[in-house]
Amino acid sequence: MNSPARILVVDDELGIREGCKRALASEGYAIDLAEDGAVGLEKVRANAYDLILMDLMMPGIGGLDLIRKVHDIDPEIIVVVITGYATIETAVESTKRGAYDYLPKPFAPETLTVLVKRGLEKRELRLEAQRLHSEREQRLLELAGEKSRLRTIIGCMADGVLVTNLEDSLVLWNASAVKMLRLGGTEEPGRALAQYVKNTAIIEVLQKILASKDDGLSMIGQEISLDDPDLVLMAQLAPVRDEQGTLLGAVTVLRDITKLKEIEKIKSQFVSMVAHELRSPLAAIEGWLEIVLSGAAGGDEPQKQAWLERAKERAHSLLALVNDLLEINKIAAGKVAQKMESVQVGDIIRKIVEFLKPEADRKAVSFIVKLSDELPPVQADVRDMEKLFTNLISNAIKYNVDNGSVAIEATVDANYVGFHVKDTGIGMPEEQLPRIFDDFFRIEDPRTRKISGTGLGLTIAKKIADSHFGHIEVESRPEKGSTFSVYLPYQKRNK
Amino acid sequence: MSPKGKILLVDDDPDFLDMHMAVLKNHGYEIITAASGPEGLARVRTEMPDAIVLDLMMEKHDAGFLFSRKIKADPLFKDIPILMVTSVAEATGFRFSFEDDGYWMKADDFLDKPVKPEVLLERLDALLRKRRDTP
Repeated sequence: MNSPARILVVDDELGIREGCKRALASEGYAIDLAEDGAVGLEKVRANAYDLILMDLMMPGIGGLDLIRKVHDIDPEIIVVVITGYATIETAVESTKRGAYDYLPKPFAPETLTVLVKRGLEKRELRLEAQRLHSEREQRLLELAGEKSRLRTIIGCMADGVLVTNLEDSLVLWNASAVKMLRLGGTEEPGRALAQYVKNTAIIEVLQKILASKDDGLSMIGQEISLDDPDLVLMAQLAPVRDEQGTLLGAVTVLRDITKLKEIEKIKSQFVSMVAHELRSPLAAIEGWLEIVLSGAAGGDEPQKQAWLERAKERAHSLLALVNDLLEINKIAAGKVAQKMESVQVGDIIRKIVEFLKPEADRKAVSFIVKLSDELPPVQADVRDMEKLFTNLISNAIKYNVDNGSVAIEATVDANYVGFHVKDTGIGMPEEQLPRIFDDFFRIEDPRTRKISGTGLGLTIAKKIADSHFGHIEVESRPEKGSTFSVYLPYQKRNK
Repeated sequence: MSPKGKILLVDDDPDFLDMHMAVLKNHGYEIITAASGPEGLARVRTEMPDAIVLDLMMEKHDAGFLFSRKIKADPLFKDIPILMVTSVAEATGFRFSFEDDGYWMKADDFLDKPVKPEVLLERLDALLRKRRDTP
């Protein structure tokens, strides 16, 4: 302690008080004096003392009472009793009441200073012990808090967490892990991991980690398939070490990557499909150019012209395909590109019919448009609607028979306006219908082989209908024709 | 001039049918065409071609395989050489070769689309010669 120890002397005899003060002041202590118990108690309340010397026999508050009262205020104050009637009984009594030691009167100043010194050391020790004790308490509290915090954190995680020790026993886990691995029996922790987990892959990798002597080994990532084929997990396993680098166990974090795998698969399928769809027309274009340039197929000028025309047609359809792909990507990317406004779809359809008339005339296909002017408007993007109905009506012409017809009608129910495009074409077998909205799907029929198309028209139509909170339906019978119906939600007018 | 041989072209892409026909006709082959597997089989039965140029990916993705399997399983037709032409190879990372895949892919030779006219002529000629030379 840096500041001098503070000592209070309580005695009704002035001589003793002065004698003590003199003896102790030379040792460098700060000394206060009190002539009786009441004054002493006042001083103890007002100041912090390290040690009190007190007479046992005083008027007013007696020494034995004073010990208790002082210790009520500060239990760590060292009390040394000075008594003129030093008997074993009074000494024992006072130490029972909490006094540290006693000093019989009269005493030599050296005896006093030695005793005080010892008492102060004792107090130092006691305070130190108390500090250590409270520090430990604090640590334990922190530890408990840390543990509960850790449990809460891993409990909240969507990823599964398993912690195992060197003996492969499960020591910590969370609810997600229980769910993913269907852990059983976790109400009894501490048993070998294999008792909870049936999946051998995880156990094998864990053992590999625990067996590894390599201090540098920080993590192993491994895909794990379970008995449930619909669930694919990514397991990250890492060794747990203490400050010295000694292996303590391993932690396993499990992530459900089923959705990712699905997306990955769809994406790679789409890419290889697109690659094939792009490659075929490119190969055809290159083939025609090669024939003309190399002269390998002979041919006169008009013939070569015709071959170049074929290449140009293919290039044109390739461009259409790329445009459709961009269109799909735009729809998939979200509604940013959409400009929703109140639209009379009937007007749009009439314009498209006008635009496609020359194409229909070439096949002698006639239009029957029965659309009321009173149809409720829908919230839609005009360009999207143009694309959607151009695709449907253009299909109705392309897949029609010569001298056929395309009828366009509308129906209104409580929530939707339905637009129906009905052709008298070749129709489709029922088993093909579920697939017609798939990317690049085309009905295989000798009669459709010459019909150009990207195989994405209906995909786009469906995506547009979906993005407008509507839906698209198809009805078809081979040789009778097909009807495509688009249902779009409309806002009822306030009356 | 008598034709060098009767070749059946099977492909669902009219451009390839027409372009291979133009090249081969120009070099003295007689050409018959089919746009699908079933149609091709019918043509083989009625016309008995000397060789077949087959597109692998037709209406269904395995139509080419099925077609060649049927031909090679038929004692009457199994000696007709099949030249398989495909645009799958690089796009899908597959690569076929007669040495590696000939034993399960029932074809006698493989080519990637687009086929250079001189390569097509050369390979076809080789297949026909091989067939003539084997008793």
